[in-house]
Amino acid sequence: MAAPSSALVASGLTKRYGDTTAIESLDLDVDRGVVYGFLGPNGAGKTTTMRVLTGLIDPTEGEARVAGTPSSNRRELVDRIGLLPEEPPLYDELTGREQLQFAADLRECAWEDVSERALRYCDALALTGDLDRRIEGYSTGMRQKTAFVQATQHDPAVVFLDEPTSGLDPRAAKTLRELIVDLAATDTTVFLSTHILPVVEEIADEVGVLHGGRLVAEGSPEELVGDTALGGNGEAGIDGETGGDADLEDAFLALTSEPEAAWQS
Amino acid sequence: MSGGNATSVLGRVRSDTRDAGKLCWTELRTRLRHIRGEPRQLVANAFMLLLFGVGLPLFLLGSALSYGGRLASGPVPTGQSGVVVTAVLALGVYLGGAGGFNQNRTGSVGPLVRTSIPPRAVALGRLVSETAQASVLVVPPGVVLLCLVAVGAGSPLPALLLALATLPVLVASLLVGRVLGDAVRFVSRTIGLSLWAKALAFLVVTTALYVGSQVLIRSRIGESEGLDSFSIPSLLPGDPLQAYAVTVLDPLGAAGRPLGLLVALFVLASVPVTLAVALRVEAGLLAFESGGSADDGGVASGTRNVPRPFTVTPSARVAWRYLLRTRRDPRMLAHLSPMLFGAMAMLASFVTDPESLFLVGPAALVVGGTTLAGAAFCLNPLGDDSDQLPLLLTSTRSVGVLLRGRALAGAIPGLVLAVGIGTPLALFQHGAVAAGGQTLLAVVLAVSSAGTALGIGALVPKFEQREYMNVERSHPSTIAVMGFFFGGLVVGAAGLLLLFGSLGGTSLQLVVVGWAVYLLVVAVPPAIGYVYAVRKFDALTLDDV
Repeated sequence: MAAPSSALVASGLTKRYGDTTAIESLDLDVDRGVVYGFLGPNGAGKTTTMRVLTGLIDPTEGEARVAGTPSSNRRELVDRIGLLPEEPPLYDELTGREQLQFAADLRECAWEDVSERALRYCDALALTGDLDRRIEGYSTGMRQKTAFVQATQHDPAVVFLDEPTSGLDPRAAKTLRELIVDLAATDTTVFLSTHILPVVEEIADEVGVLHGGRLVAEGSPEELVGDTALGGNGEAGIDGETGGDADLEDAFLALTSEPEAAWQS
Repeated sequence: MSGGNATSVLGRVRSDTRDAGKLCWTELRTRLRHIRGEPRQLVANAFMLLLFGVGLPLFLLGSALSYGGRLASGPVPTGQSGVVVTAVLALGVYLGGAGGFNQNRTGSVGPLVRTSIPPRAVALGRLVSETAQASVLVVPPGVVLLCLVAVGAGSPLPALLLALATLPVLVASLLVGRVLGDAVRFVSRTIGLSLWAKALAFLVVTTALYVGSQVLIRSRIGESEGLDSFSIPSLLPGDPLQAYAVTVLDPLGAAGRPLGLLVALFVLASVPVTLAVALRVEAGLLAFESGGSADDGGVASGTRNVPRPFTVTPSARVAWRYLLRTRRDPRMLAHLSPMLFGAMAMLASFVTDPESLFLVGPAALVVGGTTLAGAAFCLNPLGDDSDQLPLLLTSTRSVGVLLRGRALAGAIPGLVLAVGIGTPLALFQHGAVAAGGQTLLAVVLAVSSAGTALGIGALVPKFEQREYMNVERSHPSTIAVMGFFFGGLVVGAAGLLLLFGSLGGTSLQLVVVGWAVYLLVVAVPPAIGYVYAVRKFDALTLDDV
């Protein structure tokens, strides 16, 4: 049973493609206003999970509710979510400002209603000076920033970010991390999928580790590091240590090394 | 050249040929797998094979049999033989030219291949692979036609000699076309013109060529005192090709011998020369193009605010964005190029017979404009935004806002043609009542066209990118485009006939029944099409793409 404060609940979520199982019996319960770090090796099913949660694909089994709305109900869902996929969905022929205005048009909301927030984010990401240039001339980082603003300008309840710091320089990446924390502070839930573990360690309140389509661990970064260091049973885990020098990377490697070694927290 | 150098050159040639062979085989295998894995691709390719392999020979059945008979029964028919060789030459130049021009996908070769094997091997591999792919549509009808010639002749020898005559011409013309296509591509990439200027230049050149040829043909028809005495050979500057054909088809005869032998030598010599030139040019272009495109717009700037008339609804604002994107990149309309051929034919009529401009012009503008209204943005409504689907599907409560925006975006240029230009012309030619009726009809047809196109686009969406007219994007299905153009022509022409029939004193009863049926035809399909498109795309998931 999901708590009333849950922003994202999934139960028994399964997605199969023929004989291949991308995700299997995935249960998630993410509170409002948290940054949820979603980790997993390549091919673990992270992107598939995000697609199911955002209504871009239907699950084979199970169901999910995002901000109280079934993920299958895209009509209601779109007002509550924002998505930054791995490939920023932008139109090369438009300028950055036109792209953001177009995204507002698609949501049938007035640009005036979202522009204050959008331009504030653009300022923070040092994008304002380039907003009137066409996107075809943008660098990878500028595209990423534009797509981030596009995903968040309408103040969604849950934001899904797939590798948001990809292609960003260190300064922009730091700003983006701060913006993500700010989003969570204003009650927005951030579902963050990334391979950059220090980012998750720094800003995530909760972490889920997906491996072979299954959620093999969940908890705060500290809990994950501690539990993994203890081998999940209080015994010394990583290299016989008890967690003193272990970090999230060690935990991630230990959790995703062998499918047989996986454990459910 | 020392022996060592010769050996190393030979070794390089061998190595290049081996690498080219691997690349060619990989490209062909990939293409085959793609066709086998996509039922629609399979159907489309089978249809094309049937069309070319059976349809074309059936169309030319009588000519092929009689040509075979004439080859066997007497002296080589000079004119017909010249036409055959000229047709093969034109086909080769066209296929080669299209192949050379449509090479902007250096990315599809992949950086790995481009940095792993020499550029010349890449060029050779692609040339052979693309020629092999093109030959799938050329070889079956060619073989069937040769068989028909053999049947007509009652012996295989004339057909074999014909194959011997046309094969070198085909290979040489393919290579010449390839070099020409490469040259056009190079000029297109280096010339500092905007995309619109390039598109306009392309239009002007192709229209001038087409209209010029039509004017020439019509003037020759005039000289020949009517169609009866008119023949295609009389149009050809084909003495050398005719002499060549006669020399090869009648090796023991004396007709056309010195000139024919000279042409044969020229054709044979041009194969290795043009192959070497094509490989050198393409290898150079490969390096040039992988250095990045200097296409315009890369540093373009300037946000355009939505004009007031477009601010009324979200759909209108969406429509403005589509018009804006098209203004900045006309390649979004590359799929409309078949319409150009119709427009060219019409233009040729106007040039040769200026009076027809006022007689047929208004009607042509109504048909063209209203077809454009649907064809511009509605024939592949979510397919040509396939890269942006994650945005579109997670941003719109219903894709209806997007579809209506697309319909409006297409209706604007369509109505500019049909009403903006068509109505004043109709007013001048037919008077106020007819002009008013035509305007009303144009508006109804534009809406109908957009709705129908949306339905077709939802029925056969195309999400995969492919190259067409040197533009790589998710173009609408070719069959859908052609069917839509044909349907637009029929429905538009029927409406105009009905309109002028109504104004011309046809019985009231007939007029009422006619309009009732017609309005049903122009109202029901678009209504169903729009509803179907909204429902289908609202339920679309990335699994369907």
